[in-house]
Amino acid sequence: MTKGDKILIVTVIIINILALWFVRNAAFNYGEKYISIQVNGEEIKKITFDKNMVGKQIPIKTEYGYNLIEIGDEKVRVVEADCPDKLDVKQGYISRVGEVIVCLPNKLVIEIKGEAVETEIDGLSR
Amino acid sequence: MRSTRRLIFLSLLVAIGLGLGLFESMMPLPFIAPGAKLGLSNMVILITLVVFGGKDAFMVGVLKSLVLTLVTGSVTSLFYSFSGSVLSCLTMYLIYKYFSNIFSLIGVSIFGAMAHNFAQVLVACLIMNNFRIFSYLPILQLTSLFTGYFVGLTSRFAVNNLKKSFDKIDISL
Repeated sequence: MTKGDKILIVTVIIINILALWFVRNAAFNYGEKYISIQVNGEEIKKITFDKNMVGKQIPIKTEYGYNLIEIGDEKVRVVEADCPDKLDVKQGYISRVGEVIVCLPNKLVIEIKGEAVETEIDGLSR
Repeated sequence: MRSTRRLIFLSLLVAIGLGLGLFESMMPLPFIAPGAKLGLSNMVILITLVVFGGKDAFMVGVLKSLVLTLVTGSVTSLFYSFSGSVLSCLTMYLIYKYFSNIFSLIGVSIFGAMAHNFAQVLVACLIMNNFRIFSYLPILQLTSLFTGYFVGLTSRFAVNNLKKSFDKIDISL
């Protein structure tokens, strides 16, 4: 085990951990992300993230109550609500696929969804 | 006479490589990553490289992957195994020849293992036509670091003993 070996091992570890980190951030971005707004279990609106949509506010007015949603850069939050506890406003932004904001009094669910994640095997070699 | 002796030793090394490869294919490593292997047969190539030289190591590597395909019977794995063998032989030869003052056998073996993985992922990309498979490379490279380390360690012991034996029976090089 020479000095060169040790340098090699350390370099490889560092490079690969950086690469892993990069891959986790960049490569698995689920394709298209979109916001799914559901009231009482039914999807009433689908919004895809877009540069033009940044900062836009969308009011959701239903028979159960009123919420105002703000869309940010790849993220979304509730800015106003007429529910008593305002938990949805306090939650702040959500940005990752699978995260949800729920407003129980207004029966509102805001979920970020990705394009259907493939569960089937897409390649096999023996 | 001398070349016959040499031939026999090389054939023995190929046979050992086959045995190790077969043993390895029966023993998967599911806990790290699918497709990761110990690379035991890389040991044979490394030993041949040190004891006999680059040309013979190349021959042993190619023969080993060809005959291993006949033994295990999976033709698609021929592409992976063949490309991996060729690239790892080449890399180990170059590193051993030009950088052996910097790297010991452990370093050479790690380079070989990494080249093997790289070639396999490249071939997988070409076969499946999907370059996202490269995202799998860092995990493989990290495992190849460990397997390469131990393969190099083992080869060093083997090479030391073999060189002693070969001094006695006068194998021509």
